[in-house]
Amino acid sequence: MSSSVASHSTPQTALDWGLIGRQITGILRMEVKRQLVSRRALSLYFLAFAPPLIMALWAMSPIPKKIGLTGPVDILDTFSFFYFGYLTTSIFLSALVMFMSLFRDEILEKSLHYYFLAPIRREVLVAGKFLSALVACAGTFMIGTAALYVFAMSPWGLGPLSRHLFSGPGLGHVFAYMGISVLACLGYGALFQLAGQLFKNPVVIAVAIGGWEFLNPFLPSFLKKLSVIFYLKSMFPIPVTEGPFTILAEPTPAWISIPGLLIFTALVLAAAGWRARAMEIHYGADD
Amino acid sequence: MGTHKEVQHDKAPIERLQEQFATDSALRLPDEETIIFDNVSKFYGEVLGVNRVSLRLGPGITGLVGPNGSGKSTLMNLMTGLLHPTEGEIRVLGAPTHRPEQLFHKVGYLTQFDSFPASMTGYQFIYSYLRVHGHHHDDADAMTWAAIDRVRLRDAAFRKMAGYSKGMRQRIRLAQAIAHGPQVMVLDEPLNGLDPMARNEVIEIFKSLAEDGCHVVISSHILHEVDMISDQVLLLSGGYVVAEGGVTDVREEMHERPIQVLIRCDKATEVAAALFAEDIVVEVSLHDDRQGIMVRTANAGDFYRFMNRLVLEKDLEIETISVADSDVRAVYAYLIENEGEAL
Repeated sequence: MSSSVASHSTPQTALDWGLIGRQITGILRMEVKRQLVSRRALSLYFLAFAPPLIMALWAMSPIPKKIGLTGPVDILDTFSFFYFGYLTTSIFLSALVMFMSLFRDEILEKSLHYYFLAPIRREVLVAGKFLSALVACAGTFMIGTAALYVFAMSPWGLGPLSRHLFSGPGLGHVFAYMGISVLACLGYGALFQLAGQLFKNPVVIAVAIGGWEFLNPFLPSFLKKLSVIFYLKSMFPIPVTEGPFTILAEPTPAWISIPGLLIFTALVLAAAGWRARAMEIHYGADD
Repeated sequence: MGTHKEVQHDKAPIERLQEQFATDSALRLPDEETIIFDNVSKFYGEVLGVNRVSLRLGPGITGLVGPNGSGKSTLMNLMTGLLHPTEGEIRVLGAPTHRPEQLFHKVGYLTQFDSFPASMTGYQFIYSYLRVHGHHHDDADAMTWAAIDRVRLRDAAFRKMAGYSKGMRQRIRLAQAIAHGPQVMVLDEPLNGLDPMARNEVIEIFKSLAEDGCHVVISSHILHEVDMISDQVLLLSGGYVVAEGGVTDVREEMHERPIQVLIRCDKATEVAAALFAEDIVVEVSLHDDRQGIMVRTANAGDFYRFMNRLVLEKDLEIETISVADSDVRAVYAYLIENEGEAL
């Protein structure tokens, strides 16, 4: 190589957190754009913002007053249930699409090898890709969750809304629901990223995870705890009721749920990193 | 490049290969300056990729030659960690191939995959991956332009790669592979899709990389180009390395195989008769213009000595005597295409 190129700085190979930080930033530069500005991003925007839009239309309609709701406090339970649906459909599906395709899409477009040919630990690549999808997914759903809450509390005008938000429990609720959305993206994201790396056809595993999470209310207490949704539900500011056939279980306190989900995410990502080290590039027949 | 050469006549005695296929110069170099394959095998399930390959490659241009499915790309993918060996170990300038964080400071790889991340310009493509390497903006920017200039694509740098011609895509991928200044360049069919002028330019880049002390490993089906630019060749067939060394040396080592010699002279018919009479040729064919003959001989030394004598005795006017098959294609044909017969 010419000296003009070779003389530039060469990153060190030892475990160097500064270097790892720069490499993750490099991955984020490419991946966040790919996540937010692509055809796939349309499904993210639809899933994140269609429910708040529906909520806004509902808030502008005469329905809330017709059914006798007198203010934000009357709708907290209903909102909790609605948010549960948002969590288990919109956020779950978005995490599935975004995180599962982190590696799969690049295998399909035959460009993953460019990452594999960079002097970067595969674990760092996994972390960088995960963070990029997390930034895109969690960022979008934080906005979606806040919008959903604000629209749900808005049928009675700005005055009651601002009193609920700033003088009542509203703002705390907004942050709690936003936090749950982020944790959902973390937990489901890690799980789906690993699934995307492990399985050529991830649909089966996606259906299996989805089924398990869907069945969670009907599972015995000890099995409930082997799911992401159980811990997320425990953190709802207003407990959600799931219907007459559910098996009740003691909710896990937030001080256990939050670190528990973070540890779970870290463990799954560690497995994804281990898996990435063993990955080979087989786009098709070669030679 | 080393000149040691061998032809494998039997695939079974792999241990012989290990001793034979190390080039003299590569053997003298420390491990940190060589590419080492130590008894490497790769199987795709039951299917053989490459089998028990042991090599030491030093600096210079090494050509990989072999038909489709011979294991060229597998060997390159193993060398760059895109595949993991089923058995054995590979070290590139001392770096194990399962440690990309060490390996790819030293290695650049132009793969056979003509694909890119979507919606990128040529500049973004190179710059973005240099940022993933961990380079700061200023360095990444300067390295990007140096690489783009080296492949002469400055004018197209800010165009989307989706609109590039095949040759431009090949060149921008080459630029991406050399941008970080690797000491080892692995190039899988790098001349594909290039027009003659671009080929020459790219070949000059390879030569200049080799002159800078770089290890350049090239695979190609365009045999005469491999022949022209390679310091040594590796011939692969069915997942085995069947020969390794300088092209001419490999050919000369095939003592028991006839070589073809073209003789153009004024008394071609007489020369043909004399050669037959001496029993040192396998085959002689007369050119249509009767001014030349093509000779196949199993004993090049005796043949040339006899020709010297004949020139004096018959007062021949020799226009040319040249070995007609000392290029890679001929060696390739002997060793691979007529494998059952030649090996």
